[in-house]
Amino acid sequence: MSLPNSIVGFSVLPVSYGDDTNHYIYARSHTGSKKNVSQALPDGRTLFLVNVPPDATERELVLLFKGCGTVEKVVFDLDAQDTVVEPDDSDADDDAEQAAAEDMQDEVEGQPRKRRKVPKLVPPTVVPLPTTALRRLRRTGRTAHLVFLDASSLERALVPPPKPRLWPSSASEEPSGLAHYAALHDALRPPLDAVRAHADSAIALFDFELQRTRQESKFRKGEAIVDEDGFTLVTRGGAYGQTLGGGVSVASKKFQASGETRVRNKKKETKHKTNFYAFQKAEKQRNELLELKKNWEADKAKVEKLKASRRFKPY
Amino acid sequence: MTLNLKKRKREGDAEPRKTRRLSDDELDAVSETDSNQDEDEEWGGIASVEGHAASHAESNSSGTKPKLPPTGEELRVINDAKNLYRSNTFKLQIDALLPNVRPKDTKVPPLDRFLLALHGFLLALAPVAPRHPLEAARMLIKKGVAVAYCLPRPLEDTNWKVAFEKPSDITVVGSWANKISVKGKDGIKFGVDLAVEMPPSLFQEKDYLNSRFFQKRAFYIASLASEIQSSEALNVDVTYESAFNDPRLTKLVLEPRKNGSPNDFTKSSARVCIIPVLSANSPIPLHRLSPSHSNIRVSGDGEAPTPLYNSALLTALMPKTQLLSTFALKERTPSFSDALALLRVWANQRGYGEGTRMCVRGFDSMGSWWTALLGLLVFGEEVQGKMVKRKPLGTGLSSYQLFRAALDFLSRHDFESAAAFHKSQDGHRFPPEEYQACHEAVLVDSSSTLNVLARVPLGSLQMLQHDARKTLEMLNSTPTGSDLFAEVFLKDQRDLPSRFDIVMRVDITLAKPRTPSLHSTLDNGSAANALIASMVPLLRRGLGNRIKAITILHAPSSTRPLSQALPTDPAVLCIGLILDPQHAFRLVDHGPAADEPDPAIVERFRDFWGDKAELRRFKDGRIIESVVWDVTSADERAHVLAMIVRHVLKRHFGLEDAAVQSWQGGFDDVLRLPEAVARVYTGSGSVVGFKGAMLAFDGLVKELKTLNEELPLSLATVSAVSEYLRYTSVFAPVPLPDSLVPSLPRNARYLPSMDIVIQFEKSAKWPDDLRAIQKMKLAFFERIASTLMTSVSGLKATVVVGDGVSTSDIQDSARLEIATSDGWAFSARIWHDREAILLDRLISGKNVLPHINRPAEKKKTKEQYEAATAKEVYLRRFIHAPRHHRAVAALHHRFTAYSSTVRLVKRWLAAHWVLQGHVAEEAVEILCASIFVGDGRDLTIDLDNRVAERASVPGSKESGFARVIEFLKDWKWEDGLYVPLYGGESSEAMPLPVSASARPGVWRISTEADSEGNLWTAHGPDVVVARRIQALSSATWSYLQGMEEGTLNVKSIFIHPTDDYDFLVRMDSSVLPRYAQKIDSTQTLGGKYANLPREDSPTVLRPGFDPARLLYDDLQRMYSDTFKIFFDPFGGDSLGAVWDPALKQPLPFRVLGGFSSMPVKKEKEKQKDKGLVALNESGILKEIERLGSGLIRGITVQV
Repeated sequence: MSLPNSIVGFSVLPVSYGDDTNHYIYARSHTGSKKNVSQALPDGRTLFLVNVPPDATERELVLLFKGCGTVEKVVFDLDAQDTVVEPDDSDADDDAEQAAAEDMQDEVEGQPRKRRKVPKLVPPTVVPLPTTALRRLRRTGRTAHLVFLDASSLERALVPPPKPRLWPSSASEEPSGLAHYAALHDALRPPLDAVRAHADSAIALFDFELQRTRQESKFRKGEAIVDEDGFTLVTRGGAYGQTLGGGVSVASKKFQASGETRVRNKKKETKHKTNFYAFQKAEKQRNELLELKKNWEADKAKVEKLKASRRFKPY
Repeated sequence: MTLNLKKRKREGDAEPRKTRRLSDDELDAVSETDSNQDEDEEWGGIASVEGHAASHAESNSSGTKPKLPPTGEELRVINDAKNLYRSNTFKLQIDALLPNVRPKDTKVPPLDRFLLALHGFLLALAPVAPRHPLEAARMLIKKGVAVAYCLPRPLEDTNWKVAFEKPSDITVVGSWANKISVKGKDGIKFGVDLAVEMPPSLFQEKDYLNSRFFQKRAFYIASLASEIQSSEALNVDVTYESAFNDPRLTKLVLEPRKNGSPNDFTKSSARVCIIPVLSANSPIPLHRLSPSHSNIRVSGDGEAPTPLYNSALLTALMPKTQLLSTFALKERTPSFSDALALLRVWANQRGYGEGTRMCVRGFDSMGSWWTALLGLLVFGEEVQGKMVKRKPLGTGLSSYQLFRAALDFLSRHDFESAAAFHKSQDGHRFPPEEYQACHEAVLVDSSSTLNVLARVPLGSLQMLQHDARKTLEMLNSTPTGSDLFAEVFLKDQRDLPSRFDIVMRVDITLAKPRTPSLHSTLDNGSAANALIASMVPLLRRGLGNRIKAITILHAPSSTRPLSQALPTDPAVLCIGLILDPQHAFRLVDHGPAADEPDPAIVERFRDFWGDKAELRRFKDGRIIESVVWDVTSADERAHVLAMIVRHVLKRHFGLEDAAVQSWQGGFDDVLRLPEAVARVYTGSGSVVGFKGAMLAFDGLVKELKTLNEELPLSLATVSAVSEYLRYTSVFAPVPLPDSLVPSLPRNARYLPSMDIVIQFEKSAKWPDDLRAIQKMKLAFFERIASTLMTSVSGLKATVVVGDGVSTSDIQDSARLEIATSDGWAFSARIWHDREAILLDRLISGKNVLPHINRPAEKKKTKEQYEAATAKEVYLRRFIHAPRHHRAVAALHHRFTAYSSTVRLVKRWLAAHWVLQGHVAEEAVEILCASIFVGDGRDLTIDLDNRVAERASVPGSKESGFARVIEFLKDWKWEDGLYVPLYGGESSEAMPLPVSASARPGVWRISTEADSEGNLWTAHGPDVVVARRIQALSSATWSYLQGMEEGTLNVKSIFIHPTDDYDFLVRMDSSVLPRYAQKIDSTQTLGGKYANLPREDSPTVLRPGFDPARLLYDDLQRMYSDTFKIFFDPFGGDSLGAVWDPALKQPLPFRVLGGFSSMPVKKEKEKQKDKGLVALNESGILKEIERLGSGLIRGITVQV
């Protein structure tokens, strides 16, 4: 077995799945783009991995590279988006990596989005739903970034090991297989009080934010004033009155779609008399006949085509 | 003035057409003026300055030669096609069809030469002196020719003699002589009937008695056979053939040997049939042959009429008269031969005629019947005492109109009670009442002597009626969808499984009639004929109004070697039933009341049913003789008909159950849980099945409605969207209460949860933000759950916060899982209609500037994609699914066989590993509905005053299944399928827009609500799967044909061949909760060891938990670009997959390659490193094993 050690600039790192079966991870040191220097993925000690096992967890990757040095963090790319970024050729690899990296910026903390929403000065906090450690199964052939504590580990990691490292699947605390599905089934059904706490706090947060944006907003003109019973305050004016604070009318659907305002008095199309002159009648009849013949010929051609494609032999 | 001359001439042409309608004349006139104008243009060009400039310029620009308006002749053709035929295309298609079913003129001359030679040969034959019939037969047997003496056979002491003299006349008769031959099915040759007139001197007046005429005829034909056979010059193979397997109607069949001599007519694809006939001046008196005369005096009673015998004798007199009357008909009716050809092609395609496959009883050798039928329509009926019932149609119809008229007659005429008499020259020859007294169905031909329907059982005519109705329905329907012409004329419709609702195959070799009748045997000509003839009335009596038609099919009469005197009787019959769904499934048959004054009626009833007849007292106090059929479940109601047929055959013909084969049970089995599991459920005493599920749902709705006090918003509607609540789930739903869990094996503990949708009253209190709405739903669910649990004891409710896959927080994801105390599980979602508007806003982008037309090319943001997905889910889940549910549930009540057809088709697709993963269940439901609803016109008719069901609606799940399979086999999915599922909301059928939108699914099943067919078929099946389904269905279809031979084993239709997969993932059946649903799962239910306790862990019952399905979904999602994976959702214990063919070759390395790869070794050191990678198959298989640890037993790689 003399597989190449590197392939278009990537080191090939075989990973043993046991029983002489290897998986191959491609690794390269990460280089961030100039315009967008990222704090999360510092140059020099970040490893860019391609073809990460689809069921890999953070812990498993950390264990895999334990021999090279201490891993600070693992970032799986493209977690949130499955369909958007699909670069086509290998020239775009750098772009792809970048896109992946940019995308992942959002999730530096590795936290779900809903918690990210919480502004710093907000009193209501969302009570999270209870979580159990579960594997996230990604699509196969995806990428990840691995940040080491120091740069020397990165170099060690890029040297292909003499013997494939063993994939540390059994060491992981997250269950897999049947146990995974059972745990998932249970995890999706949290206790009712937890659901209640979570939902109540989330709605409280939403109300708070709504309140805040209203306060901050200068332009309250478009906003109708609604009291707590759901009544809208209306003032005198117009045919049916106006909502207070309103005064801006709504564009019609037609205007939204086409940008055209209604034309009031369109000129009616001038009516021609069709059956007035004798020649008009004659011409009309003639055209009708021509049309008739045309249809007939078309049908004939259709049947000819049928005849050619399918035999008209019933048996 | 040439111009004027021409005009004159044309007017002269037009003169004979005065009979035509006025409009035509007008059109002609117009065309004349038009052509005049054209001529003007040629002449001087002055006219072109006038008003014609526009049209002239147009025609010049469009092509090389200017378009001329159609000439009068052309116009007539066009208008004819439009007015007299269904449409232009239909007319042209008919024109294209007809030459193909007629003999080719170029092939006729060799046949004529042969006929001439034969004529000479026959007239030169030497006479054979009269001798005793047995002695004569012994003489002929030495030459290898047996004489087909019929019953009663001549004995040694008979005192009459047989003889042979050269024929007094030889005529070509029948369809060949009139040039109206139509090709038969399965490459059967054209029959050239040669009437050979036996000299009258051979016969005596009393020969009509006791088959004496037939014995003389048999000897005559045998002598002819031996002479022709030994003739070198004629060079033909000679065989016997008996029409209707009746030895009295034996004829000689001459088929050419291929040797290239001038007489060799192999190329004509014809065979010459020699039929001995009686001359008009024969001594046999015609008046002795009326239907009520008794001409067989062997049996003691003597005087019973012998109608069949008489008509067999009459046929010997008929050929020439028939020839002449047909000729007259043909001469007077221009479209007669075309119409006859259409009618016969139509009939042949449906098995009413010769062929190699089974043919409808009574319809082989029935050429003259079709002619008589058309004659009856054209010339009208003979007056029958009272007034003329049917007006003659006259001779001016077009071929298509005449064909339609024939179908119309067939579909309306009540053969059972009304006799039809062809108009004849000199009135009735025999009293008309006699026919009706002696024959089941009557249509007397133009000679007014012969009933052409004498041998056709009523059941066969009912079938003919049914087929005619079906075709008329098709012709009347709007011309959408499938190819009408092909359906009517080009497609073979003889396939049993799709044609009949119930098919039974009966081996009659051991049949013994309970009351054998010598007289009937003699009248029918053979014992087998008598047996079959008596079978139909008995079966019809037993089945009563449960059926629309009963048909007996058997192999048609075939040729036999000359050494075999008597025809081979069919050993096997197929009985096909067409059900009348309104009455078919009745459990009790009522007979006469106990106080019936006439004891004979009671006796007759008891005698018919035997020990099945009981005296019963009914609720309303009547005491009635009745027959009760025991069934245990609703599914078994469909078996009643088969039970009746079996009972009748057993009682009256001594046929044991083993001799009667039917397939209903096999189809039932695949929709049923294994016996061991089913017993546990039935033992538990709870209400199971769809009824139970409905009750549980209604109960839940009631409970939910009582919660209104506790909830901030009141409940508006609760609608069901589950297949378990619309009768279309493969397995009838069963509840699984906790108490029942331990008694079930581990791999039979699957509890499906039924989806329902909750809608609250409209309110402004909902937040105006998608994320907050989702949280609000959680809060609602929590409230419902806790209040439900306190108000209903034993009920468990949990909030499910997601599906584990989707991470979107704007998509509807939460649901409420409710497990009732009876063991039913529901899964509720909340429908909030504001979501749609909010999602639309997101999709259309944030800054809506109304006056700017935003070009579409703007790149969509991630959020927009997310919103689009969420919108799709929203629409499907809350708008379309409930509507679909209601429509399907309504179809279940409208068409009895619909829901079980869906269940069978679903089971079939699942058994072949494509349901759910590739084909949506809703798509299957719509697909099956297309077989039932037709063009959807009668869906709107309310149930109370519904008209008769359309004839094309299948009456049983078996025939529905077969039709769906047939449809799938031939379906060109590019054309799409439009199903008016919702009952004529939009009456005009929309043709499908051919939008080439990029979507994986190639099927396009659209409804009124979904004109693009995107809802249920956008995501699958893709081309590969669709082709596979097609291949599977055509294999299944051809296997279903095994009904005819009796080789069909239903279960094997549902056994999936796994050879085509690249690898198979075997799962551990003991941990799969649905394993019990697998076909053939019985042997390994429970654990490996019977004696080990089943309870290995205190399992919690997880509603809807199916790890195999979850694993399948995950694999499909993760490896969608690597392989295509297949799986049986109903208890499948294997996954099958095929690698994506694009990955077979090494590919250049890419970062986002989308598959697990391994670098490729360089072949030579020097070679440039191209950076190729190949699919890492073993690595992937290892990964799969890891992903399914605890579930997967092993992976088999297939080469």
